[in-house]
Amino acid sequence: MRIVVFAKEVLDPDAVGAYAVSGGLVVDDDGNITQSTIPRLMNGYDEQAIEAALRLKDSGLECTVVVASIGSDQTAMLRHALSLGADEVVAIEPPEGPMDCHVVASILVAWVASVGGADLVLCGRQASDDDQGVVPALVSVGLGMPLVTLARSVEMPGLGQPVQVVRVTPDGDEKVEVDLPAVVTVSSELGEPRYPTMPQKMAARKVNPPVLTTQELAVGAGGLEPAVVVARQFVPTLKGDCEIIVGEGPAQLADELVARLVENKLIKAGR
Amino acid sequence: MTAPVVVCSWTGIREEPPEETEAALTLGRSVSAGLGVGLVWLVVGPAPQDCAEVAARHGVGEIEVISDPKLSTGLADSFVEAVCRFLGDHPAGLVLFSQTFDTRLVAPLVAGRLGASVVMNALDVAVEGDGLEVTAAAFGGDTRVVYRAATGRPCVVALLANSVVPEPASSPSSPTVSEVPVDLSEVHERVRVLDPARAEGPRLEDAEIIVAGGRGLGSPQNYKLVEQLAEALGGMAAASRPIVDDGWIDSSRQVGLTGKITRPALYLAAGISGATQHMVGCSAAKTIVAVNSDPDAPIFRHARYGIVADCNEVLPELVRAVTQVSDSHD
Repeated sequence: MRIVVFAKEVLDPDAVGAYAVSGGLVVDDDGNITQSTIPRLMNGYDEQAIEAALRLKDSGLECTVVVASIGSDQTAMLRHALSLGADEVVAIEPPEGPMDCHVVASILVAWVASVGGADLVLCGRQASDDDQGVVPALVSVGLGMPLVTLARSVEMPGLGQPVQVVRVTPDGDEKVEVDLPAVVTVSSELGEPRYPTMPQKMAARKVNPPVLTTQELAVGAGGLEPAVVVARQFVPTLKGDCEIIVGEGPAQLADELVARLVENKLIKAGR
Repeated sequence: MTAPVVVCSWTGIREEPPEETEAALTLGRSVSAGLGVGLVWLVVGPAPQDCAEVAARHGVGEIEVISDPKLSTGLADSFVEAVCRFLGDHPAGLVLFSQTFDTRLVAPLVAGRLGASVVMNALDVAVEGDGLEVTAAAFGGDTRVVYRAATGRPCVVALLANSVVPEPASSPSSPTVSEVPVDLSEVHERVRVLDPARAEGPRLEDAEIIVAGGRGLGSPQNYKLVEQLAEALGGMAAASRPIVDDGWIDSSRQVGLTGKITRPALYLAAGISGATQHMVGCSAAKTIVAVNSDPDAPIFRHARYGIVADCNEVLPELVRAVTQVSDSHD
């Protein structure tokens, strides 16, 4: 069976957050963050989606794991995917003009069709740049597959069997099953992705991931027209009216704070 | 644009907090006024008892109820089918959801089926010329992105909790109520629940007092200090994402954009830096108290009271001080 994983390269969200907090984030008129000092890396949730695919492979399932990504210069990220254990990788050169989740989904749907379909599509629950998390849903609609979100674990008893997914819900874990083909998104609860070994890294370094262009894919009508465009991006301002409690040592600080909480009826004196 | 604004709420297996539905109705009303179009409330699943009253308060013109028993299962296929059929017959300009665990799954599916534009994690929707601009949280809430929706197709928006303060309309309306006949007998749910989630004990979402711990605790063992203070305060213990990711604490206690959205009266954050992705889950707290050894931690910009000190030294003293106050008599 063929397991397809979609991976997105994102700006390191921790670095963006650090710049945002320090007031030094640079955003251009089109809403793009332009700082070249912010590292680009594979979206962490997508790395966990690859991990989910590799765990299925490790369980003895006969499968090919293919990692696809839309973007320019995806070589480093796709080599990383190979070093983790992906069987195949492919980069899709983005079209000219702005891309939104509709455009991304249309391209991915066309690519899946061009390779003869997929049995299981795994994606991260959301990309840690825009946090939208809608591409998996749009792809599932485009491919006519059911969608299962927020997987903590993805298991398959055997080829041709339904896939069993434990979902992280606000009420605790929920176990569901779905017949393939299906789209499943992976949450951080899946756990740490593996680290590549040195020989795997060395081997991956020799591979030049194939690059497709959007023109080579039969993208559906209107599929390259974005439904939303980014008008601008900014860092929100905070009000900030914090009273810093002063006191000699932890005991006095605690007493002072508790006195204020009692004063404001946030905690009650006496029971 | 003449198509109305449709606020869609779903009473599935998990309750949508009424204040979030009212927040969506409040925003929906402002957009419908800006566009000069009607405001429709599409209630999917069993209609809340006070639905007509709430709708009138918010200036809703029409209430449309789809109450097929299949919609009470919380499964996606029936919901998406029902909503898409309704919107196929009654095209909308803006379809507004309040973002919950369940709508985070179905709103993009509805958008995909309708070929609509879609924005999740929205904080605001504004009318700009003849189109809509949607402001959404990005980078875990560290930035805001303003999306301009293409005209000529509907726009599906999921409104993040705590982003809009519910406000009644200046003058109430007398909404009509219609039951929408939708035959879902042919809908086959493709995802089957083998073992449903069972909420165990009290929920963070309902807690009045929350004590949350983060990396500043230094080690998993110190999390017990958070639990002790929560117990002394009669509240619940929670955690920020880093220590959940590190496996100190189960993700059911995680507060934030990818965890629980809470709204307690008192939120005490110990050893939490205050990354926006965390603050999304607690910014609706009436009072935030921060204990952190870093005076520059962003958490102090959200907090009402702050203590700049090692939380491992302060927490035991807080337990003592709270216990003393609780045991004292007025």
